[in-house]
Amino acid sequence: MENAQYLDQLLFGVLPYLALATFFLGTIQRYRSQAFTYSSLSSQFLENQRHFWGMVPLHYGILVVLAGHVVAFLFPRQLLAWNGHPVRLYILEISALIFGLLTLVGLLTTLIRRLGYSKIRTVTSTADIVLYLLLLVQVASGVTVAVTHSWGSSWFAASAAPYLWSIVTLDPNISFVLAMPFMVKVHIVNACLVIGFFPFTRLVHILVIPNPYLWRRPQVVRWNRAQDVR
Amino acid sequence: MQMYRVARRLSEVWRVRWSWAIGTALVCAAPPVAVGQETAAFFKQNCYSCHTIGGGRLVGPDLKSVSQRKDREWLVRFILNPQAMMDRGDPYAMRILEESRGVVMAQIAGLTRDRANLLLDLIEAESALEKSQFEGIKFSDRPFTELDVETGERIFNGLTRLSNGGPPCISCHTVRGLGLLGGGRLGVDLTKVSERVGGRKPLSAWLVSPATTTMQPVFKSYPMEPEEILSLVAFFENSAKQVGDDDSVAPLTFFLLGLMGMVLVLGLFDALWKNRFRAVRRPLVAGGEMRTEV
Repeated sequence: MENAQYLDQLLFGVLPYLALATFFLGTIQRYRSQAFTYSSLSSQFLENQRHFWGMVPLHYGILVVLAGHVVAFLFPRQLLAWNGHPVRLYILEISALIFGLLTLVGLLTTLIRRLGYSKIRTVTSTADIVLYLLLLVQVASGVTVAVTHSWGSSWFAASAAPYLWSIVTLDPNISFVLAMPFMVKVHIVNACLVIGFFPFTRLVHILVIPNPYLWRRPQVVRWNRAQDVR
Repeated sequence: MQMYRVARRLSEVWRVRWSWAIGTALVCAAPPVAVGQETAAFFKQNCYSCHTIGGGRLVGPDLKSVSQRKDREWLVRFILNPQAMMDRGDPYAMRILEESRGVVMAQIAGLTRDRANLLLDLIEAESALEKSQFEGIKFSDRPFTELDVETGERIFNGLTRLSNGGPPCISCHTVRGLGLLGGGRLGVDLTKVSERVGGRKPLSAWLVSPATTTMQPVFKSYPMEPEEILSLVAFFENSAKQVGDDDSVAPLTFFLLGLMGMVLVLGLFDALWKNRFRAVRRPLVAGGEMRTEV
């Protein structure tokens, strides 16, 4: 077997399992030993203007895009049936791109805010920086793939979904992704890195349900020390 | 209890040894037919779409008596990595490339040196026969009708679904004249595909089991029916005659549409949260300044 084949086996046949094992063991262990760190540690109190333009597009964007990936993974045949009419395909792809770009803009705003404001930088850890960079690679590669290697919703259902199912059913079949363009491979490998790094980052807040932040009315957090003064 | 465990362990070892002995005997007795059948199936799946044995040229050369044209070691190296041989500028590999109109043989996923040797054994054995089972698939050669072209276009776009469940071509490919956003760009532009691969017969044969590394795993489970292949070939031949601009601006159009949509959604967010909490100190300071002016 040539070196390139070993590398493919490692990246697409072994890395996903390493990432999943780290994800499950890490999240369980962290919840058992440090349950109160299951939070994203909001910094809204320190800066409120750019926070809105980072948080809102990032969260709504990523939720829709992730939901799209999950639907394509669970219902590939139905998705192909929906895309069976070019107009429906175009509507789906443009919508997905809109939310992908929202995620990218939200993420860039968040990153600039994190690094550009001294107060926010103080509460930013090394793990946060690594995570933001991984997410940036993930989202930027996703948007690039969507634009340059269209139509992702259809070929994901035909090629990526069977690959992911082969991983889930413990019978990895990497032939589905071997000849994919470089940027698609970057997207897959980086996704594994994000999943593997997940337990050590603020991303764990995703697992703390219920999560009414999506629909609740905005809340203002104020310190009330009146009783202490008295 | 200890005795029971030892007895059970011995029984397991005995059973495993018997299974191993029986398995070995079966493997030793069976291999020529089983391996031969498996290699023939492998050839059919991976090679037959571009090569015949004694049936003439398709996209790639007729493989009848190929081992008389080049030595075994060269053939194994070529089968394992055709692109590498061409990159090195091997004269015979370059001749094959020229005769194949620039279509590079796809590298076959999971192909080993042993498997390549088995394939060459099969080709030698089939070459010795008067009529090989891989002489080539017979396709209808009736002239294409407008209905064929129309049906092919519908299959390409996904409006008519492939009967065995394969994904529509537009998922990954485009052809000239599809409209505003065109087709997919994961695979190559198929506008001149018929010309590139050498015409109707090679293209039809290729579509029976598409042999590129990306398409093969997908269409292995969902092969196309002969009537569907005929319609698609009719559509591809017709698309080659299309004139006008290609749709190379389609990705830019797609990106700009996405960008406009994103700006609209950001505006929507701003409007939805227009009463959002913005600051504590700034309004107080602004109010104080106003009172000072009064």
